[in-house]
Amino acid sequence: MLQNVRIWFQKTGTAKYISHLDLTHCMGRALKLSGLPVWYTQGFNPRIYMTFAMPLSLGVSGERECMDIRLTGKAPLEGIPGRLNARLPQGLRVLGASEPRHKLEEIAWADYEVQLDAADGKLLQSLTELLSQGQVVVTKHGKKGDKAVDIKPHFAHISIEARPGQLALSMRLPCSVSGSVNPGLLLEALKLYKGIELCGKTVRKGLLLEDFSPIW
Amino acid sequence: MGLQKQGAAGNLCHTQSSLKTGGRELPLSHDILMRVEKPARYTGGEVNAVIKDLSQVEVRFAFCFPDIYEIGMSHLGMKILYGAFNRVPYFWCERVFAPWVDMERLMVENHIPLYALESGNPVRDFDFIGFTLQYELSYTNVLRMLELSGVPLRSADRTDLHNIVVGGGPCACNPEPLADFFDLFFLGDGEEVDLEVMELYRQCKKEGKGKPEFLRRASRIEGVYVPSLYDVAYNPDGTVQCYTPKDGAPATVKKRVVLDMDSAYYPDSFPVPMIEVVHSRIPEEILRGCIRGCRFCQAGFLYRPFREKSMETIDSQCRALCASTGYDEISLSSLSSSDYSCLNELIDTLHRWTEPEKVSLSLPSLRVDGFSPELMERIHSVRKSGLTFAPEAGSQRMRDVINKNVTEEELLHTVDVAFSEGWTRIKLYFMIGLPTETMEDVLAILELGKKVVDTFYQNKDKPKGKAVEVSLSAAAFVPKPFTPFQWFGQDTMDELQKKQRALKGNVRSKRVNVSYHGAQTSFLEAVFARGDRRLCAVMEKAMEMGLHFDGWDDCFDFSKWMEAFAACGLDPAFYANRERGADEVFPWDHLDYGIRKGFLREECEKAYQAVTTPNCREQCAGCGAACYGGGLCVAKR
Repeated sequence: MLQNVRIWFQKTGTAKYISHLDLTHCMGRALKLSGLPVWYTQGFNPRIYMTFAMPLSLGVSGERECMDIRLTGKAPLEGIPGRLNARLPQGLRVLGASEPRHKLEEIAWADYEVQLDAADGKLLQSLTELLSQGQVVVTKHGKKGDKAVDIKPHFAHISIEARPGQLALSMRLPCSVSGSVNPGLLLEALKLYKGIELCGKTVRKGLLLEDFSPIW
Repeated sequence: MGLQKQGAAGNLCHTQSSLKTGGRELPLSHDILMRVEKPARYTGGEVNAVIKDLSQVEVRFAFCFPDIYEIGMSHLGMKILYGAFNRVPYFWCERVFAPWVDMERLMVENHIPLYALESGNPVRDFDFIGFTLQYELSYTNVLRMLELSGVPLRSADRTDLHNIVVGGGPCACNPEPLADFFDLFFLGDGEEVDLEVMELYRQCKKEGKGKPEFLRRASRIEGVYVPSLYDVAYNPDGTVQCYTPKDGAPATVKKRVVLDMDSAYYPDSFPVPMIEVVHSRIPEEILRGCIRGCRFCQAGFLYRPFREKSMETIDSQCRALCASTGYDEISLSSLSSSDYSCLNELIDTLHRWTEPEKVSLSLPSLRVDGFSPELMERIHSVRKSGLTFAPEAGSQRMRDVINKNVTEEELLHTVDVAFSEGWTRIKLYFMIGLPTETMEDVLAILELGKKVVDTFYQNKDKPKGKAVEVSLSAAAFVPKPFTPFQWFGQDTMDELQKKQRALKGNVRSKRVNVSYHGAQTSFLEAVFARGDRRLCAVMEKAMEMGLHFDGWDDCFDFSKWMEAFAACGLDPAFYANRERGADEVFPWDHLDYGIRKGFLREECEKAYQAVTTPNCREQCAGCGAACYGGGLCVAKR
C-alpha cells in the first residue's frame, strides 16, 4: 500500500541560492538519511519518487513550498518534519507533512513579496509612474525564444508598503503549469523604463488555487 | 563549463549589509550573490560542515583549495584532513575556495576580504593558512588568494607567529617555485604530521615563542620542510650548486608515511555540497600507492609504498559515510583500483548491503588488464555508453619505454569483451612527446585506434544497429620530479604541435576521432614542475599582471606569462626543454620521498633501452621505499 504524502517546506537563507535541480538532490539525500520508508521509482535506475510544485527561481525564498513523496509503509506524519530537518542543510526546513488534498496541477497563483532598498521617495515615484503607463512591455525569455509581453495587467494591483529605507511590494501573480509570471519582470521594467537597476529580495509567500485559497 | 560574462555595472545598489544565516555572518550581500554565477559556491551552510564555539578553539586552520568550489569539494585529501583536524576539540579547520573571476572582481571592488565558509571570518584572522598543491597551474590562485586575504605574500614579510602559510599535496615534492611565499611544506601523508605542527604552534603560542623559533622546531619534525632554513647556491650555468641547511635544519627532509591504512584516520562524514560538484559521491580510498611503476607517473613514485586497506575497514567506512552523507554512490578510489588484491570479493561484500540500500558502486579509470566481464557484472553503475582506457602510447616499443606493461593484444581483447558486453564507445588516452618518441610512434596511436574499430566489426556479438565510436585523446607529456624522466628535456611546443598536426591530419577512419590539448599549458606545467626558487619572482609578477585560473581555457594567457618571464630575466625553456645531465643537482634533491635517485637513473636508462621493469607484486625493483618498513615492501610475495 503506497501512501501519498505532501511535505511542506521553506527554502530560505543560504538555501535560496541553490537551483531547483540541486534542491531535489538535497531533498533526496535527506529522505535517504531520514530512514523513512520512501518509495523508489521502478526501472533501471531507481530514484526516490519526488514531485515538486512550481519550481522557485534561484535567489527567491519560498515560505510555503511543497513536494509529494510516497511511503511504502505506514509512518506517522507528525514525525516526518523532525526526521527530515535533522538531515537538511541550513535554509531548508520542513514545516509539516500531510495527506494531499489538492492536485499540484490545481496551483494557479502565488503570492510574492519583493523588498527593494529605497533611501528616499524617488523609487516610489518611479514605480507609481511606471504602473500608471498604459502598457509596460518587457522581453520575456522563454524556451521558444524571447517574446515581448505587456506586464501591466499582472502588476496593476500590487500593493506598496513604505518601510524605513525600504519598499515592500506585495503581488499576486499567475503561477501554474500552463504559465507563470516572474516578479522579476517588474524589476526588468524598472531598469528598462526608468534606468533603475535593483536586485530586490523576493519571497514567495505561498501557492494558491484558482479561487485564491491556499493549496493543501 | 559555461561562464557568463558580467555586464558593466550600471546604476546598481550597493547595500553592504552582510548575510546573516544560521548564526553565521558572511561578508556578502544578497545583491552581490545575485550577480555571480552559482552563488551557492560562496555561502557554505552544508550538511556536516563543522561549526565550533570560538571560545573553545585555540588554533584556527583555513584549508584553502586554489580552485573553484566544485573542484575543491570533490577532493579526497581535503575531506580527510578536514575531519582529522576537526576531531581535535581545540583545532578548528574551515574551508576556503578560490572565488571564480566574477566573484573575485566583485570582492575587490567591494573590499570584501577572502573568508572561510564555516564562520564567515576573514582568512587573515587564521593561525594557519594551508594550501593543497595539486596542480602547477593553480599556483597563481594560491598567490591570488593570499592577496585577497590581505596577507603579505612573502614569508619574510609575515614576521609574527600568525598566518602561518603551509602547503602539502603532490606538488610539494618540488615546492621551490613557491618557496618564498610559504613558511613550511608538508611532505607525504598529512594525517599525522599536520597535526603535530598544529600542536607545536599551540605550544609555541603558550610559551610566547616567536615565528623563527616555531619554524626551527617545526623543521625537526619528520615530513616538514621549512624553505627559509635552506640557502641555495647556483652554478654559473644556472643549475643548482647546492642547498645548505641552517639553524639545525636536516640536510634532507624525509616524507611522512602513514603505514597502516586500517588504523589511519579516515573521515566518517564530510560536508555535503548543496550544489552539484565534479564528484557528487562518496570517495572510499581502498589503497594508497601503486605497484605499477609507469615511468611517466609521478604519483606512482611519490605515494610508495603500496598499502591496502582491509575489506573490513573499507566496509565499515563505507557504511559510516553512507549514513552521514545520504549519497547513493560510492567510488572505490585509488591510483589503480583493479590492483586491489581481492577486488571482486570486496565488491561482493559491499553489495550485500549496498544493493538493498540502493547504493551503487563505481570504479575510477580501469587498467586495460584489470577489466573483466566478472568485474563489469559487479559494477552496474558503469554506463553502457562509454568506456575509458589509458594505453598512454601507440606503439609497443613506446609502451615499453614508459613501462606501461600493457600489450596491444590485451587492449584488443579487452575492447572485444566490452563490445560483446554491449559497449560501443571507447575512449583511449595517450601522451605525445614521450622520451625517444618518433613520428612513427605518434602515428601508431592512429593505427591502434583503427585496430579497435576493426575489432568491433569482427566481433560477432557486438550490439546490433549501433556504430562504434573511438576517441583518441593525446595529452602532451610533462616530465616531473621523482620520476625516471626527471632528466628529460620536454619536446618544444613546435615539436608537440607538429605531432598534434600529424595526428589530426592522418585520421583515416570516420569512426575514429582525435583530440589533443595544450602544448602551451604543458610547457608551463613543465617549467613549474621542475622549477627552482628563482621562479618565485615570475610567480609574483604573473599574479601582479592579473593572471589566475591558468588551468582554465577562459583565463589562460600565454603571452602574458612570457612577458612575466621576460620581466624577471628568466628563460622558461631552461626549465622545460633542457635535458639535464646525469649528475645535475635538482632543486628537490634535499627532499627525500624514499625513492633513491640512483634507482630513478637506472629506470631512466632502462627506458631508453625499452626494457621494462616488473610490477612490485611480481618482483621488488629496489626503489628504496622499503626503508619505510611497511606495505607491500615487507609483505610476503
